[in-house]
Amino acid sequence: MSALTEIYVDNVVRHLPENTRADIAAEITATIDDTVEARLGEDPQPNPEHTAAVEREVLEELGDPAVLSREYSNSPQHFIGPKSYPLFLWTLRWILPIVGLIAVLANVVVTVATTPDVQLGELIGSTVGNTVSALLTAFAVIAIIIGLGDRRADGAALPRMPGQQKGAWTIDDLDRRDVRGRQIRAEAALGLVFILALATIPFIPTSLLYVGHINHGGTFINPDLGTGWLLGYWGFLALLAVVEIIRFVNASTRPTVAIIGGIIDVAMAVFLTIALLTQPVLHPEITSAPNADIQQIIAAAAIWIITIWDQVSTWRTYRAQQSR
Amino acid sequence: MNEDAQKALTTHELELRRGTVVFASLVACSRPQYGYSLLTTLTEAGIPTEANTLYPLLRRLEKQGLLTSEWSTEQARPRKYYTVTDSGAEVAAALHSQWLELDSSITKLWKDGTP
Repeated sequence: MSALTEIYVDNVVRHLPENTRADIAAEITATIDDTVEARLGEDPQPNPEHTAAVEREVLEELGDPAVLSREYSNSPQHFIGPKSYPLFLWTLRWILPIVGLIAVLANVVVTVATTPDVQLGELIGSTVGNTVSALLTAFAVIAIIIGLGDRRADGAALPRMPGQQKGAWTIDDLDRRDVRGRQIRAEAALGLVFILALATIPFIPTSLLYVGHINHGGTFINPDLGTGWLLGYWGFLALLAVVEIIRFVNASTRPTVAIIGGIIDVAMAVFLTIALLTQPVLHPEITSAPNADIQQIIAAAAIWIITIWDQVSTWRTYRAQQSR
Repeated sequence: MNEDAQKALTTHELELRRGTVVFASLVACSRPQYGYSLLTTLTEAGIPTEANTLYPLLRRLEKQGLLTSEWSTEQARPRKYYTVTDSGAEVAAALHSQWLELDSSITKLWKDGTP
């Protein structure tokens, strides 16, 4: 065996289990020697340079020793393989939301309990930061555990996931859940939460953000705004809430409901635009006097951008549902 | 045939041949074979196989109990000889039946599909 073959064989076996190295090394060496000998033919006195060239040719045909070594080890070259991937996805789908919820609740409780003067910005900042850390840690732990399990389960059946049927897959195992309906319900629930948050805006004190000093913890909304405007605002929100409740109950986006929702959206945008352009809606002390009008116009423009975007989004959702 | 089709053909040919190497190796090892002799036997039989695929495959088949191996030191160079086991012979026979069935099916399909 030449030095070149020895180095090559050493490169192949160095990452293999120790108890197999000698056997595999001897086998590869014998095979390389056999191949070189066969190519040199019957020449009793081969030219050393020709022999070296043939040897190089044979080794190059065998290819990268790292690749050959992987072929011999036959170990997976992935972290989470196709057998474990469904379990990985299922675990992420269930564990991450739970971890996220617990992290949010824990942060809110701890911040409120330990900070005398809680400010919304501070609360949001610390909660988002800590929740992201918790989610990343949970993701890493899940990936490592399932990745290690994937190696141990090589060739063996994986444990069944909850809801999975025993034995071979049959048509009874088909996931018949109404995914589209669930999505509509989730969107409607999120819409209701958003409407509720909008309804509380007139009561939110500026001290919840870092601008509390500007108007001594008053509201963001002008306290002198007429009650009729506020009742109108809440009235429109109540109508939008009814639309979302109908979507939640029916779990479908019927065209009538979508059109009514769109009309209410536009009517509310018109109502808010009139309110913003005819009087100071925001608290006078938190708007700078020289640019107050411009700020009101910007707020009205933002409302229309959101409204138009909402209409386009609703229309696209409806079209997508019709095309199925 | 354009370049993309040629590439696709190469890939599919490779996959088709890869599936036959196990079967061909079990059949060829009905008599003792060492690495290089098996490679030569397969090539001469019209089933060219790459050495870096074949040698690890032999060990896997041995691990599965389909082949058995023995070092021979009778010649100038020690060589590891592989021979099919009883279990390996049964698997080879089953694969042979499958092969004949597939051959018959694909021939029929080809005739039906050819105008």
